[in-house]
Amino acid sequence: MKNNRFTAAVLVPSFLFLFMFTAFPVVYGLGISFFDYNPASTENLFLGLENYKRLVRDDVFWEAVKNTVFFGGAAVCANIVITLFLAKIISVLPWKRWKTFFRTILFIPCIAPVVGTSMVWKYGILGTDGGVLNKIAAGFGAAPKNWFLTTLPLMLLIIVYTLWADIGYNVVLFTAGIEGVPKEFDEAAAIDGAGPVRRFLSIKLPLMGRTFAFVAIMTMANYFQMFAQFRIFAPKGGMNNSAMVLTNYIYRTSFISFDMGYASAIAAGLFLIVFVVAMIQNKMMRADWSYE
Amino acid sequence: MKKKYHYVIVTFLSLFSAAMMYPMAWMLMISFKTNADIRTNKTKFFPEEWTLEGYKTAFAKAPIGHWFANSMFITICITAAVILTSTLIGYVFAKYQFRAKKMMFVLLLATMMVPPQVTMIPRYLMIQKMHLFNTKWALIVPALVSAFSIYLAKQFITDVPDSLCEAAKMDGAGPLRIYWSVILPNIKPAIGSIGIFTAMANWNDYLNPLLMLNDIDKMTLPLGLVIFDSQRTVDLSATMAAAAMIMMPMIIIFILFQKQFIKGMTLSGMK
Repeated sequence: MKNNRFTAAVLVPSFLFLFMFTAFPVVYGLGISFFDYNPASTENLFLGLENYKRLVRDDVFWEAVKNTVFFGGAAVCANIVITLFLAKIISVLPWKRWKTFFRTILFIPCIAPVVGTSMVWKYGILGTDGGVLNKIAAGFGAAPKNWFLTTLPLMLLIIVYTLWADIGYNVVLFTAGIEGVPKEFDEAAAIDGAGPVRRFLSIKLPLMGRTFAFVAIMTMANYFQMFAQFRIFAPKGGMNNSAMVLTNYIYRTSFISFDMGYASAIAAGLFLIVFVVAMIQNKMMRADWSYE
Repeated sequence: MKKKYHYVIVTFLSLFSAAMMYPMAWMLMISFKTNADIRTNKTKFFPEEWTLEGYKTAFAKAPIGHWFANSMFITICITAAVILTSTLIGYVFAKYQFRAKKMMFVLLLATMMVPPQVTMIPRYLMIQKMHLFNTKWALIVPALVSAFSIYLAKQFITDVPDSLCEAAKMDGAGPLRIYWSVILPNIKPAIGSIGIFTAMANWNDYLNPLLMLNDIDKMTLPLGLVIFDSQRTVDLSATMAAAAMIMMPMIIIFILFQKQFIKGMTLSGMK
């Protein structure tokens, strides 16, 4: 259909709006990154590339880049392996009731706000006094540990928390994806003598490509933005900034130190990383995935 | 065909589910304990004596009623607006031909790639300049249009047969009429899906309220909850009672409507 007046009446205001809150802020932020910008001061000094020079020399920034990439990479890979496995074993069950039950249970943590469940984990799981981890450690005769003062273990625990809080989504999506693959393919492979694992890896997995691509992209985009759990578990970035991620570093620099110019330069760095990752993903996901 | 390994799987998944539910169960148990009970019976899971003290303290300490009302209002406004804007814009992209359509759609998708942390400083400054800082509108206004929801709506509306629209047009229906009586009734599952996504994301959002709200009375539930954690001596019983009150309504709604929830989630992934 064609109706230019209607099309314009809908699209012009909505695009203006969308750009006002996404594209314009990107440009605005880039602009601020060249200033010594503090919203409270009347005069903000133009610094040119000074903020970027500082960024390159900033150890905390590079630590945060490293942690963000480590967190994103490790958590996304673990998430996909675990959720594919769970989705697969749920989908082979012959009882509908149990399938629904397990999917529901696994999804419950996704419903709750991350700050809420992070706080539950902070005291109930990692807590120095009464947390499960230390209770288990005590069972082995180990002294209680303050996990919040550790480096790598804290990061790994934040990843475990994130998986706990988030696997429900992908289990649901993958179960639907697995069940959406026509049965004939699987049966044909079975007749040819392929075992269940083999069939899953070489028939099901490639055939549910569309779901897989969607899940991988969404999870990746999501994990690079994780913020709330880091604010609860390591508000100041943890021991030696070992749990400092870019989002928290930007937040701290801009809204706690009010050094918004420099924070905008860090944000530009984050934008660059996300852009590069998106490009790589785009290349990898180019393949044609349909089974029609 | 029930086989032995099916029982093995059910057993494994049951244990796994129990472990997954432990943190929630722990939260509920702590919320019904007194702080003295928590201190003295460290290894006990169930309360020595069930009490609502924690809940009373939580209500006395913080304006949870206000937070609840604020969260409710903000979530409902955004969800209603997003359903309207995304289906309308998705409809234009799915059913109308116009110049530079492809490029505009790519631009739309590109806005999804911008992480909120990149734009948060400018957005904060803009909200201040618009005099919306520390009001509900600081959260509602920027969220009225969502690229992801437009994308979802467009995918679903494309599947509505063109012949239906053409037939309605023959009968003299204008574009809005077609939208209302042909498109919307045919994409009800999509509307559910968009509604669930939007409501959940905004109900649980922490970053935006953290940036945009200042007064305790104006906070939303997730933002307010953190206040309990930031006090010097944490009242664990009251904190977990507050956490439980914030989580349980959504969890109960989810369990009641889980079929629709799961269906909505699934549809979004298949498109």
